[in-house]
Formats: sequence, structure tokens, C-alpha cells
Amino acid sequence: MTGIVNDIPVPGVHQRRSTPPSAFGEPSVWLMGSALLLCLGMVAVIIVLIAGHGFSTLWPRPVDRVTLRSGEVFLGMPMGSETFTPNEEEQARINALLKAGDLTQADTAGPRTRYRFRLGNRDLGRDSFRWVPAYEIASRERPDDAVVVERDQWGVFIGVPDAVVLRQEIEEPANTPFVESFEVQTPNGSHPATQRVLSETGETRVIAREVHVAQGPAETSEKIDELMGAARDRRDEIDRLLRNRIPAVQDRLAELNWAERRVERAAGDHDPAGPVWLWAITTLACLGSLAGAVGVWRALPESRSRSVALLAIAVLACGTGLHAVLERPFLRGTLTEQQAQVRLDKIAFDSSVAEDERETLLSRIKDLEQRDDTVRVEIVDPGLDRFAPVAQTKPEEPMRLSQARRVIHANTLGPLGRVRLYLARWGDFLSRPPGESPGEGGVFPVIVGTVVLTMLLTVSVVPLGVIAAIYLREYASQGVVTSVIRIAINNLAGVPSIVYGMFGLGFFCYTMGGYIDGGPGAAALPRTPWWLLIAGLGGLVVLAGLLGAGASTPGVLSGGRSLSARLVRSATWGLWMGAVGLAIYLAWRTPYFHGFFAEKLPEQPTFGARGILWAAFTLALLTLPVVIVATEEAIAAVPGSMREGSLGCGASRWQTIRRIVLPASMPGVLTGAILAMARGAGEVAPLMLVGAVNLAPASPVTATPPFLHGDRTFMHLGFHIYNLGFQSPDAEAARPLVWTTTLLLVAIVLVLNLAAMVIRARLTGRRGGGGL
Amino acid sequence: MNGSNGVVSAIEPIGASEVEPKGIAEEPKPSGRKRQGSVLDAIRRGEPTKATVHPEVLTEDAVIEIEAFSLWYGSSRALFDVSMPISRGKVTALIGPSGCGKSTLLRSVNRLNDLIDGVRVDGRMLLNGAPLYAPHVDVIDLRKRLGMVFQKPNPFPMSIFENVVYPLRIDGVRKKSVLRDACERALRGAALWEEVKDRLAAPALGLSGGQQQRLCIARAIVSDPEVLLLDEPCSALDPIATQRVEELIAEISERYSVLIVTHNMQQAARVSRYTAFMYLGHLVEYGPTEAIFGNPKLRETEQYVTGRFG
Ligand SMILES: Nc1ncnc2c1ncn2[C@@H]1O[C@H](COP(=O)(O)OP(=O)(O)OP(=O)(O)O)[C@@H](O)[C@H]1O
Ligand SMILES: [Mg+2]
Repeated sequence: MTGIVNDIPVPGVHQRRSTPPSAFGEPSVWLMGSALLLCLGMVAVIIVLIAGHGFSTLWPRPVDRVTLRSGEVFLGMPMGSETFTPNEEEQARINALLKAGDLTQADTAGPRTRYRFRLGNRDLGRDSFRWVPAYEIASRERPDDAVVVERDQWGVFIGVPDAVVLRQEIEEPANTPFVESFEVQTPNGSHPATQRVLSETGETRVIAREVHVAQGPAETSEKIDELMGAARDRRDEIDRLLRNRIPAVQDRLAELNWAERRVERAAGDHDPAGPVWLWAITTLACLGSLAGAVGVWRALPESRSRSVALLAIAVLACGTGLHAVLERPFLRGTLTEQQAQVRLDKIAFDSSVAEDERETLLSRIKDLEQRDDTVRVEIVDPGLDRFAPVAQTKPEEPMRLSQARRVIHANTLGPLGRVRLYLARWGDFLSRPPGESPGEGGVFPVIVGTVVLTMLLTVSVVPLGVIAAIYLREYASQGVVTSVIRIAINNLAGVPSIVYGMFGLGFFCYTMGGYIDGGPGAAALPRTPWWLLIAGLGGLVVLAGLLGAGASTPGVLSGGRSLSARLVRSATWGLWMGAVGLAIYLAWRTPYFHGFFAEKLPEQPTFGARGILWAAFTLALLTLPVVIVATEEAIAAVPGSMREGSLGCGASRWQTIRRIVLPASMPGVLTGAILAMARGAGEVAPLMLVGAVNLAPASPVTATPPFLHGDRTFMHLGFHIYNLGFQSPDAEAARPLVWTTTLLLVAIVLVLNLAAMVIRARLTGRRGGGGL
Repeated sequence: MNGSNGVVSAIEPIGASEVEPKGIAEEPKPSGRKRQGSVLDAIRRGEPTKATVHPEVLTEDAVIEIEAFSLWYGSSRALFDVSMPISRGKVTALIGPSGCGKSTLLRSVNRLNDLIDGVRVDGRMLLNGAPLYAPHVDVIDLRKRLGMVFQKPNPFPMSIFENVVYPLRIDGVRKKSVLRDACERALRGAALWEEVKDRLAAPALGLSGGQQQRLCIARAIVSDPEVLLLDEPCSALDPIATQRVEELIAEISERYSVLIVTHNMQQAARVSRYTAFMYLGHLVEYGPTEAIFGNPKLRETEQYVTGRFG
């Protein structure tokens, strides 16, 4: 084309240049396209892998009865196969089999197949999984009577139901006639019964009487179906008592115990109260400065001097207020012997009530357990010819029916039955707490922990980040210092997260938490100097405020740029910093504060240990840069004409920010929140240091006040994945659940993000702003 | 005051008399022929020049007095000792080539330039006799008394209704009925009511450019300001809307004083009583509109208003 144009004689001054080959971008477009494709492909692989594994784990599988050439028999769920090249030993075995005529010549060469079976029955000593080469298998069938028993402990049991037994332990006089077996008549017919002597003393003996109310696979299955509901109800009731009611009573008893200690300490506390006049003065000063603040607010027009004056007065008010609260001569003070005794009596009474309640609960549990103990089932592992025991230490007693969460006839299950079972398993997984060892039970508290942590993190990081971003963009003058701060913030995002974990543990848990628990400790300053320091602080603040008010002539007036003004401003700045430092130091060393939970120290720190609050703060720190950067960008994207329009209407700077800038940058703020949430929810390393545990004793959220327990440890999906896959004693069996849990984590992050995105879309839609 | 010493020192020091604005040139001798010599060339060369001010403007009652006002954006100077009174209850037009400082002057009146880092001013500005740039002036209150409409329409990303009543909202007015009445009055005043009365809750950014500009005018007049500052309010409007806004200006000039920047000579001639011609940050000529457009004292002004400027 270009050539043709060039060939045409161009009249006059017009000149044409030929288009260089580099102007045609097709090769680079192809390159970019394939790079994108690569990225998309990898994302797709991850998603398919997680979803495929995660969704298939809970799908019900059939049970095979495998007979090996050695005569060994086992039941197992086929879990796939692979080809392998036999090693020497295996080759020798193949040759032997060939010679015996068990294998045909055709199979001698090349790779061979081996199958993987899930065995279960760990309490009988079986492995969780087993690889079996195809040539070892003599026969393989799917027996209709095989069942998979899901249990709360020891994983699944695969076997054949053999009998339902009603078992009773009876103490009777030693001279009663004893028969080994007899028939018991019931309305449903007669059942064989056996008796066994468990122990015998001179006059009495304890016998175990077992009545076989069902025998053989068919009858047993029927009976199991009949009794299962009641058994589960009993078990659930026991669980509820053990998991909720008993711990609640225990907590109350512990609290009462601590309360007792608190009273005892208070009774022995001889810390003298401050003089009343000092307290009166501070209280007056506090009220006066509050009134002053209101006065300044109303009297002065909005300007920097007003803000400075307000700040100075506010600090003064806070300082004096704090002192007034800590000092409070007539509220504080020690308990008299008598008062202490009254309180101790009350505590003792409450304790006895709680103790009684515990006894009642325990006896109820015992009663339930006794009834539960009667109904037993014999599920037999045909290979070992042993039934599932009630406990590993009692192999001669069959398991209780209630120990089975579900008895599944895996090979006779129809498609609908499979789907129902699959959904029920998901329901269990999502709604139940984890069992004693990883891989058992569900993940409900883990989900709760993750969600609560993420919410706490968002709630703490967003306001902080937004305020910081507003200051950086709207108030701070854009200079070298601001740039340095901005660079520092951006670099903060690159610090390895474990560093934040260390910081969180050291600063939040031990330092801040320790301070909350026990106050600054014994190394407090003597009283008078402390009070002097407060006075000094107040003076400093007032001085700085006055200086600042004087120095803050508006910048447009030429006087604002002079050297003396700059000096005054720096001096003010220095004074402010000094005052703030002093205030922190004072709070740190105050002799008046003894902590909120001192009575539990040192045995049981409350906030001075790992907990969900500190974990959230740590993650907040970690994700702060994300929020600041996103918010700053959004604020910077608000056109200056909007601000000018608002200011031109007579709005103050703050009103402009509140009503124009912040709403317009809300989508950006939410983007920051989404990013922070996504990053925080997936973070594991720092959590291991500041509060995530394998098995949290209590949930960080409760249905009763105070609803949120910031001091409690929690479970987290990320950490749970790590635990399941790599920390559990039977990691191999738990590994499939790793995928399911991963799927959940991804889903939760996705749901949180989607929620934020919907909110963002709503906001943008309502304001009609489109792309602000 | 660096780098432009020559100019500053060449102008008489102000403050000798507070009443009569100085720094304004004496009326040139009525010699019959227009002053020759190129004032604009002198300005371009940075030589000291004096503004030509017709005596009529000095006899008017001034709502704003600008006295030897200079402004620097960092080290570059945008206004050079501008001195002019703005008449109360009249429309005053500012004309001049692009970049001559019209917007800067307008924005200086309600101190919007304060917000720009590095801006510095010198000289005085008085609103009803009170200095605007004194240290303890309440800028917020000042801006409430001066309604401003910007060169580019800048409605807020909220509903039409909320846009109009924004100045009342920030004053804490909450009563629905008050807000609704004020909104209707302002929208009628800005000749927008008929077009938007059925969709007051719709987002303002969905309006056309011209409608947005009239919305901004409504926003500027809703709080009943004393002076209206209009920075090329019609640059985004079609002829019909322009005519409406011009009628509006004529209407409201009975109540408000209006300072309007425009590039449209006909518009300046139509709406304004007085016209000021600016060039490169200097006031060149200031007088009654008929005089500026009919019989200006300077040839440069004549050339500019007739379009033979160069
Ligand atoms: N924020 C700013 N920072 C630095 N210089 C500025 C700024 N705003 C305006 N200026 C300069 O000040 C001078 C006057 O600008 P101004 O906007 O007042 O011109 P104008 O007369 O309104 O022009 P127009 O008719 O094109 O709107 C110009 O040279 C411009 O470059
Ligand atoms: Mg302009």
C-alpha cells in the first residue's frame, strides 16, 4: 500500500514517508496473546484441580471384596490405579506365578497395573491405603452386604454387619446359678443370649449378658436402621452436654475462682488513694478544657489555628480526664475485711450453685451413657474375622451403635441415594466441629474463625488506612517528606509476612496484651514526679498550641514564608512530638493502672497471649499499605474541579472530604478493602505465631454477651490445611480433605470479595458516577 | 517580589489614601485621536504600564475594590498590580486573550487560589470595604457570600436535587420543605426547572453539558449570594441556553453584582454594564461597555474587541 502511494507523483510540498515494518504490531500481538493464554491456562488448571479434587472427596465410593492369591481377604474402596515397572523382587514373584500357571505368558513383559484401595479399620491395625498389583488379585467382587461405617473416631470401618447385641453388665450374688447361653423371649420373638463372667469376688460377680436381637447381615442391617435414629439422638445429646453445657459451667466456676482472687487481692491492697483536692482540680481542669474546646469550636472560624487550638485542648482534656478517672479517690481504695467477706460469701454461694449444676449435668451424662452403652453392633472385617471394637483397648466388646455416624450400604446405593449421601456429607463437613485428630469431623468452627478474623481485620484496617490516605492526599503538603512516607508505605507491603507475625507476637500479644492484663508492672514511677510530668505535658501542649496558632497564618500571605515563621513552625512540630512522646511514656509508666486481668497472672494471661484480636491487628498492619495505596489513588482520581466546586459553595475542607471526596472515592476504598481481605484471609504464616491453633477450645464468637472474645485463640482454614496435610498422624488419609478445605478457603475468599464487589457496584450505580 | 522589581517599583506605592484607589492612571487628555504607542508591546517587554480607566467607573458604588493586586503561582507572576472597582448591582465583564489571568482574578475574589500550593498574593481586595486577605478572615463565610460558576461544569456525583441544595446542606439545613422550595427557585432561576423537574432524583452526571452548567448556576444562586462570579458560564451552551443564561444574568443583576468572564464579545456587549480588558496579567482598559466596544481610548482595545488583534 505504502509503495503504491509512493509511486504516485505527489504534487507540491507534500512529502510521504514509507511506514516502517516495526509499525505493524502483529507479532507482538501474538506474543502478548500467548502470554495471556498461558496465564489464563495456569489459573484454569489451579481452579480445575482444586474444584475437581475438592468436590470428589466426599463422593460415595463402592466397596470391593478382594481375595489375593496368598489367600488374604480384605474389603476396600477402589481409589484408582497406576502402571508401574516391577522391580526384581516383584519380577521374581511374577515368574513364580507364571510357573504355577496362575498368569498367562501374555502378561510377562511391560509395565503392570496396580490398584489403590482405601481400607479403613485403623483400630484393627490396617493401613489407611494399600497398593495391590493386579497379578496378586485372585478375585474381586462387590458384595451387597458390605457396609461403610462412618465413625467419629478412628475413621471409617469397612465390614459386614453381623449382629445387633444388647449388652448389660450385671452384678449378682456369686451363688446365683450361671448359664453360658439361653433364650430370651420378647414380643418380637425369641433371641439367643450369652453370658460371660467379667470378674468375681467372694460374694458377688460381675457378668456381661449379651442378647443377640439380630443376626446375619440382612436382619442386622434392618435392625440398625431401626435403632440408628435413637442412638444418634442420644449421642448428640451427650455431645451437646459435653461440648456446650459442661464448658459453660466450668467457665463460670473458673471466673468465680478468679473473682475470689480479685477480692482477696483488693482486700490486701494498701495503695493509698490520692488526695481529694488533687482529684477535684484535675476533674475541673478536664471539664474546663472540654468547655473550652466547645467555646473555641463555636467562636473561631474554621482555620488551622482553630484546629491546633482544639487539638491542644483535646489533649489537655484527655490527660486530665485520664488522671481524674484513675485517681477517683472515693471510688477506688481498698476493701475492708467485712466488705471482702461479704463478697467472698457471695462467690462461695455462686460456686456451690455452679458446682451443683455440674453434678446434675454429669449424672445426666452418665445416665445417657449407660443407656447408650447397651446397644452394640458387630461389624465384622471378613479378612481379620474381628468386629469393630468399642475401643482399641477392649477388643472383645463390639462397638456401640451410636459410635457410627452413618452405616452405608455402599454397593446397593442407587444414584439418588449417592447424591443424598454426598450432600449429607457436605452438610456434616460444613456444620460440625473437627474431631480429636485432623481429618475427622467437619470444619464449622474453622470457617467461623476465618470469617471472624477477616471481618475484624477489615474493620480495623479500613478506617485506619482511609484516614491515613486522606491525610496524605488532602492535608499534607506534597513535598519530600510526603514522598518518603509514601515510598515507605509501599515498601511495607513487601515485608515478609512472618516478620509481621514476629512483630505481632512481640508487640501486640506480649507488650500491649501484657499491659492490658497487668498494667505497667512493678517498675512504676513514684507518684509525685508522675503528676509533675502530667503538668509538664499539659504545659507543653498548650505552648505548642499557642505557637502553632500564631504560626499558622494562611500560606498565601507573603508573611507565611519568612524564615522566622518557618522556625516557629518547626519548633511547634518539635514540641508536639515531644508532648506525644511524653504522653505515651506516661501511659506506659503510670503507677495507677494495675491491669484489667491481673488476678489471672501469671498462670492464665487474658490478652497477654495469642488471640484473635491480636491476629486481626497483625493482619491489619500487614494489609494497611494495600488500603492506603488504593484509597490514595481513588482520592487522587477525584477531579480537583469537584473540590473547587464544593469549596466555592462555602464548604469547609472537612465537609468537602466528607461529602464529595470520600463518597466519590468509595469504590476505590472498597477495592482496597477487598484486596486487604483477600490477602488477609489467605495469610497463614503470621497467624501461626499470633493465635491460630489446631483445635480451639472455645469459639471466638458466642451467642451470649460479650459475643466477641478477642482474647481467644481460633482456627483458620489456611492453618487447618497445613495441619491436615502435614501435621496429622495419618496425613495420607487426611490428604483428600486438604483439597476440600482448600476449596472452601477459596470459596470463602471469593464470597467475601463478591460481597464487596456487589456493594461497590451498588455504590457506583446509585451515584451515577460511573468511573470515578 | 522577586524578578519583577522593575514593574513593582514603577507603580506608585499604595496605601497613601485608603479611600481612593490608586495605581490607576490619570484619564488621558482628550486629544481627539487615540493614544498611539503600543501598550501591549510594553507589557510584553515587561515595561511598566498604566491601566486606562474611564472616569465613569470610579463614580459608581463599588461592591468589590481591587487595589494593586498581584498574584504569583510559585515564581511565575500571573497578575500585575490590578486595580479596579466592581460596581454594586451591575454586571462587569472581563475580557482578554486566553491565559491573561481572568480566571485567576475571579478565583482570587473568593480566595480559591489559597488552595494551590505556592500561591502568593500582594495588594488588597475589599468586599464591602472589608479586606478579603486579612489574616483572620473567615474564608468559608466569605465563599458563602460569593457564588461561583466555573469555566467547566462541575456537578457533584449525586442527584440533581442534592447538587442544587448542597450549599444549604453544608449549612445544616435539613427541613425537606425548605430544601425543596429552594431547589425549585434556584432551578427556575437557572432556567432548568422545566427540563429536570420530573427527575430530580436522577444522577446529575447524566445531564448534558449545557444542563450541567445551568445546574451549577442554580447551585451558585441557591444560597442567595451577594456577588456572582461567572467564569465563562456559556462556553458549553448552545445559543438557546446561552440566551436563557444571558436573560438570567440580566434578571439577577438587579439583585446581585455580577462579575463575568467571557470570550464572546457580543455577549459582553449584551449583558454587561462595564467591561475590563486584560492582557498578560495586566488590566489594560476598563470602562463602560458602550465606550469599550464603541469608542475605546486605546487602539489595542479597539483592535481586540473588533477581532483585529495581533
Ligand atoms: N494552578 C496554576 N499554577 C500555575 N500557573 C497557573 C495556574 N493556573 C493558571 N496559571 C497560569 O496563570 C496564567 C493565567 O491563567 P488563567 O487561568 O487566569 O487565564 P484565563 O485568562 O482564565 O485564560 P482562559 O481564557 O483560557 O481561561 C496562565 O499563564 C496560566 O498558565
Ligand atoms: Mg479561564
